[in-house]
Amino acid sequence: MILVAGPLLVLWVAGLALAALDGRRRGVGVLAIAAVAVAFGLQAVLLGRVLADGPQELVAGGWAADVGIRLRVDALGAVFAALSSGIVVAALLQAVATGVRSRSLPALVVFLTLGLSGLFATGDVFSFYVFFELAMIAAYALTAASGTAREVGAAFLFAIVNLVGSFLFLIGIALLYRATGTLEMVAVAEAAGRLEATTAILIAISFFVAFGTKLGLFPFHFWLPTLYATASPPVAAIFAGALANIGAYGLLRFGGAILPNELALSATALIVIGSVSIAYGAIQAIGRRDTREVLAYSSIGHVGYILVALGLGGPVGLAAAVAFSVANALNKALLFLSSELRGRLTAAIFLVGVLSVAGVPPTAGFFGKAALFDAGVRAESWWTVALLFVGGALSFVYVFQIYQHDRWRPREQRERATPLGSAGVGQRLAAGLVALVVLVLGLWPQPLLAAGRDAAEAIVVARGDG
Amino acid sequence: MNLVFAAAIGVIFGAGVHLLLQADLLRVVTGLALVANAASLTLMSSGLTRGREPILPLTGDAEPASDPVVQALTLTAIVIGFATTALLLALIVVLYRRRHSVDLDDLSREEAEAAARDEAEEPALDAWRELGLEVDEPEVAR
Repeated sequence: MILVAGPLLVLWVAGLALAALDGRRRGVGVLAIAAVAVAFGLQAVLLGRVLADGPQELVAGGWAADVGIRLRVDALGAVFAALSSGIVVAALLQAVATGVRSRSLPALVVFLTLGLSGLFATGDVFSFYVFFELAMIAAYALTAASGTAREVGAAFLFAIVNLVGSFLFLIGIALLYRATGTLEMVAVAEAAGRLEATTAILIAISFFVAFGTKLGLFPFHFWLPTLYATASPPVAAIFAGALANIGAYGLLRFGGAILPNELALSATALIVIGSVSIAYGAIQAIGRRDTREVLAYSSIGHVGYILVALGLGGPVGLAAAVAFSVANALNKALLFLSSELRGRLTAAIFLVGVLSVAGVPPTAGFFGKAALFDAGVRAESWWTVALLFVGGALSFVYVFQIYQHDRWRPREQRERATPLGSAGVGQRLAAGLVALVVLVLGLWPQPLLAAGRDAAEAIVVARGDG
Repeated sequence: MNLVFAAAIGVIFGAGVHLLLQADLLRVVTGLALVANAASLTLMSSGLTRGREPILPLTGDAEPASDPVVQALTLTAIVIGFATTALLLALIVVLYRRRHSVDLDDLSREEAEAAARDEAEEPALDAWRELGLEVDEPEVAR
């Protein structure tokens, strides 16, 4: 059971210790990397255990199951926990290698990882909210910790919009508790099936708005571009690669597992909103020249695919949503980490990310999109298949546009001033590791697809109709 | 009682949203605090039951105990709301020190000016000029 609680304990102790230390010192940064790496290691082992033996449970302090704090890790949670912590390790490695300028950064990143690890591991709806806010508050502080007035302004907008989303989520939880009489996820899922349609749809909408905001879906996206474009590359990588997973996981958990009837009912709406998001993100991305802005709009576009996969529904659709979320998180983390690096191998590392976003084999992105196509064809939704094709073609255009713009043009014609010298070994190592994972998953996609399938199975089992 | 709670939550939430839409950032934060309190009240009212104090051990046949869970939840929500409000106020202090204004209109005007300055140095426009095409000069700072 140390595997379930271990990551949280390590991160909590490390976060408290780091909060008292000056994060600008290299040793402190290394300590933070070590803590997150240990948590990642435990979560990777836990993932293996969950895939082999099924969900792992722990009720803290040996209390009765409905009194104590309950941690329950199934395949879905384990996949997202390992993914997010892994990306944070790489981003933190790059941040420390670049040199941390704010004393609170390592501690905040550790607390953010703690919140993420907790919310992927909890089996209780309200604990989910608490961990969610823990991660988000760390993120608000992280964006505000450094920078110019424009960055602080972006951080303020980010905080306000997401807090409104959070409080709507809290109201949704209150409604859910009122309607089902319990907070324990498995029991909630059971009771939610018997709810009146009007009650359930109200709850579902409040959850959708909350997680849509977190993901940066089209109508809730406006906080995202400035934030991603102004944050430092490692912080942007943490946001796009780890923090945005909250939205994908929340939609899968609350939509797929707890309110499946409402998810099926709103399938058309989800596909429409997802499509609009894809089109909007891609068109805006093509129109931008600044690499980071292109990546930000690309993030908006790509989360639309997750929504489309959810709309397609069924085990195949859910599996595609998970596989695509994993590939997308890796892609975005890789691109943000590598877009401003120069020197040996950096163009190759960046190119891996570009190919993966465009969905060219052999990369993880190819299999993420292939899973989506598979789901579309099986659901015989030709509309969706056509949309995926057009969306894919558009992303092909904008990623190669930035590649060309950034790497093939003389320095003085570029939008963003890029560093003159070569990037340090640590900076390149961090991006290189993510690139390696993307390539390995592209050459040997079995783990990615199996994880997607098992996670989808966990969702279907949780709602009790599998 | 339910009606009183529902009306109170509605009014508080509405007032909060109204303040959220103002340009003065202090008002925005106040609005957010109101929305947080509306959420706390919703949590409270999700377990509005009259009954005995919920102290273990419950003695069998007496009237049912009231729901203690919502109280715990609300307490947690209040703490989180308090923390986020404090953080936002700290952000406002930072903004004020940098810009000497907490008005969203002032801040976005400055940002637009900065963007216009960037736009003026646009390399793409130079490329158009080299081709001999006419270029609309961007409006820089009034």
